Amino acid sequence: MGKYILKRCGYIVVVFMILSLLMYSLYNLIPTDPARQELEPQRKALKADEYQMLYQQLRKEMGLDDPLIVRYLRWIGLWKDTDGTFNGVFEGNFGYSNLYKRNVVDVIKTPMGNTIFINIFSTIASLGITIPLGIYCAVHKGKRFDSVTQVVTMLGYSIPVYIIALIFMYLLCVLWRVFPIMGTKTPGAVYANGWQEFVDMLYHIALPVIVMTFGSLGGMTRYVRSAMIDALSMDYIRTARAKGLREKVVIYSHAWRNALLPVITSILGWFLGIFGGSVIIENTFSLNGMGKLYWQGLNNMDFELVLAIQMFYSIVSLIGSLLIDISYGLVDPRVRVDK
Amino acid sequence: MKKLLAMLLALCMVLSVAGALAEAPAEHVLVYGASTEINGDFAPGAWWTNNATDKMLRDFTNDYSVIASDQGGALVVNNTVASSVEGVMNEDGTKTYTVKLNDGLVFNNGEAITIKDFLWSTAFSCSSVASEVGAKMTGYLTIVGGQDYYDGKAETITGLRMLDDNTYQISIVADKVPYYFDISYASTSAYSMKYWLGENVDIADDGNGVYFKGLSKDAIEKQLEYARFNAGEDRVSAGPYNLVEFDQASKQATLVINENYQGNFEGQKPSIPKIVITKAEDATWFDALKTGAFNFYDTITDGEHINNAMDLIEDEANKDVLGYGFNYVQFDRPGYGKLMFQSDFGPTQFPAVRHAIAHLLDRNEFANRFCAGWGGVVNGPYGTAMWMTKESEEWLDENLDNYAYNPEKAIELLVEDGWVLDENGNEYVEGVRYKEVTEEQAGQYVHTKKLDDGRILMGCEIEWSSSEGNSVSELLGIMLANGEQTAAAGIKINQNIMSFAELLNYMYRDATQGDKYGVPTYCMYNLASNFTSIYDMSYSYTLDPDMVAEGYNTDYIFDEELDKLSMDMVYGVEAGDDAAYLDIWQKFIKRWNELLPEVPLYSNIYISVYPDWLENYNQDSYWDFEQAILYATIAE
Repeated sequence: MGKYILKRCGYIVVVFMILSLLMYSLYNLIPTDPARQELEPQRKALKADEYQMLYQQLRKEMGLDDPLIVRYLRWIGLWKDTDGTFNGVFEGNFGYSNLYKRNVVDVIKTPMGNTIFINIFSTIASLGITIPLGIYCAVHKGKRFDSVTQVVTMLGYSIPVYIIALIFMYLLCVLWRVFPIMGTKTPGAVYANGWQEFVDMLYHIALPVIVMTFGSLGGMTRYVRSAMIDALSMDYIRTARAKGLREKVVIYSHAWRNALLPVITSILGWFLGIFGGSVIIENTFSLNGMGKLYWQGLNNMDFELVLAIQMFYSIVSLIGSLLIDISYGLVDPRVRVDK
Repeated sequence: MKKLLAMLLALCMVLSVAGALAEAPAEHVLVYGASTEINGDFAPGAWWTNNATDKMLRDFTNDYSVIASDQGGALVVNNTVASSVEGVMNEDGTKTYTVKLNDGLVFNNGEAITIKDFLWSTAFSCSSVASEVGAKMTGYLTIVGGQDYYDGKAETITGLRMLDDNTYQISIVADKVPYYFDISYASTSAYSMKYWLGENVDIADDGNGVYFKGLSKDAIEKQLEYARFNAGEDRVSAGPYNLVEFDQASKQATLVINENYQGNFEGQKPSIPKIVITKAEDATWFDALKTGAFNFYDTITDGEHINNAMDLIEDEANKDVLGYGFNYVQFDRPGYGKLMFQSDFGPTQFPAVRHAIAHLLDRNEFANRFCAGWGGVVNGPYGTAMWMTKESEEWLDENLDNYAYNPEKAIELLVEDGWVLDENGNEYVEGVRYKEVTEEQAGQYVHTKKLDDGRILMGCEIEWSSSEGNSVSELLGIMLANGEQTAAAGIKINQNIMSFAELLNYMYRDATQGDKYGVPTYCMYNLASNFTSIYDMSYSYTLDPDMVAEGYNTDYIFDEELDKLSMDMVYGVEAGDDAAYLDIWQKFIKRWNELLPEVPLYSNIYISVYPDWLENYNQDSYWDFEQAILYATIAE
């Protein structure tokens, strides 16, 4: 097992290097001049000589006149930076945000915290609903409840999340005024203690969490239902029932454990998705999360920020796929992962 | 399953009740919905970043500038800060301003403001350390001796003098004066040197000019970083409000009145106790305003949105639910949306074609449709809120061509200019008009052809670059490019949709981004211009090829008179000589209107919506929220 993990880690490093070179090159292919872009808003306020001075200074600082491969190696930390030091990803510097004029790591911290906080609730709620619901529907396959659930989950699956968000927002915020429409904090609120602040935040994120949960019900419910139906049709289930085992034991100990193998890929994917923000939800509800940050980075061509976010997700995905492979072995003893 | 549903319902109830537990905001808190998110960089000026909402917060917290901008955008001496500002032209062509500061000014923490607090940032802009820490400051190009100090050739900044505890002098290099707005060079602002640079840095003047003691990147970097992003009780500032909180997670900033503030340039102090700045999303701002997520929405630009806001203002039922209603203030946009031509190649190098295009577009109808009734049309590079425009209303009506919608006139102009051939060089009957041109006029433009008889023809086919997702482009497509009148006139306009970054590459002819951008390709762009209160068009129409290559004169219109007028308007007029400035401004506008390097399309009317418990709020084109709110009061 250890050897297998070590080998996979080696692959991860190689894939990361190739991916980083590809991503870096792609962003640098976009015909834009970051120095000019940065100074553009100030052009009117600057005299011609001032503009030119700052423009040249910025190009030099950004190393824009160097070849692509030099810039890549500098970014990754294998080439000396313009200040003569090695100062790239390998040295812990994930880049500098041109939009925020701060190190990317400092920019990412808060949105990442927000995204994880919101996604944890959403993921737990989604799994907490979909797994029992999927199992219940599979066990009661063809009954009225199952049919209704199929229709509702199909609707949830088909309707884009931004439509769901707007409908929920209209109903729960504008019409009935149950939840606040945006943000994570009541503007101008004075909190007596941290608990009050936490409760206010929960109140604000409730609707985004409900929308995210509702939007994700369809897929997982149907997935679990289908896996359970397969499992329940197996001979060993008939045998278990013939042995006189209680129905709960049959369902949860025999059927569910065997249905878990295909489901676990999705479940782990969801947990890894905790790090990833939703561009639509975060923009709609004005939440300062990773999805929104990523969107802003793209819109403002803040490529070092975007690259850092993408490379982070690449690593999360690579590690995630390793974890999924390992978990197969843990869930199903028939699967060996040491080769 | 029933248990599960019951649990879910219970969870919803708990969350909604949780909201009620949170402390509601105090009454009469102004919650400002900003269309731009706060980045959180509160450094003075635009040393690092130029985010609009960050700038607003900076202005709220730093207002002790020697020179301020009044309600009409004119530069005035801030008498709260300085008792006198006097400028003298020197024999060597430089100009020296002597500024006498008032006594008794203090920061928000009660510490006295000294002359050093006024001067260090100007001196810093002459130091190479500013560049080392990444600040974009160019004071060294303006102040006498600044360049030498920046280059390390001089120990002091000779043009910056600290004469006594209240008086300083600032000398401006000869090639920057006289300048109509040169009083702005005399301005410094009060920033706590201790807060921004730390306790180990000082400035002094031993008689030869100001210099730093102990300044280095290592000495200040940490403190500077802290000071830039810090918001809280320990933030030292000198403006009408204190930035007491910036919540990174929610991107909300909270401002409370600075009790030590002695007023703006008119001595006005604020009375709205608390202002919260939060982000408004484009898609949901209306519902957010309606449900009270914020109660102030600044500068609504879109006509349809304005109409929605007006409905909300009249919505009595919503007023009953919220407990307050809304009012609005309207003001003119200090700028316009435009069609910009590049006038050195293709058909648009000929004034007749530019004029013909203007006559082919019903600009009044365009403005009416685009702005949904909240906009108008101008005939030159000006905004209706400028004092020059107000002074010249009659003159503008009498002297400018308004290029009224007139397809027949467009055809007449084209015929007069020689667009009388078809693509084979025969007399024009229908389709696209052609004109015989010289090799130089033809250049590399794609719609030119050489006939067997040696004649070179250029088709009146305009390549138009428009940015993606742009509603102006869509309307232009309908009303101009695909309009029957355009085809009937023999003009063809080809719309090319691209990203804004790519549009800029073509507009600046930036070959560093790819060879194709260096070749003049698109002769028409749709863009927008806004004018600041400092109306300075110098270098915008320069003939200098080096400056053109650097991105000045993006209209590529090379007219000596226009260039001279644009330069003389600011560099040929002494500060304060408004009559001379106005005279040249009028000549400049007239010449521009004749040449028509751009067709102004629409100039919006904006509105800002505010709660009805706010009184005396008078925002204007050059009088922004952070300035106007100082005069606002809470209704009894």
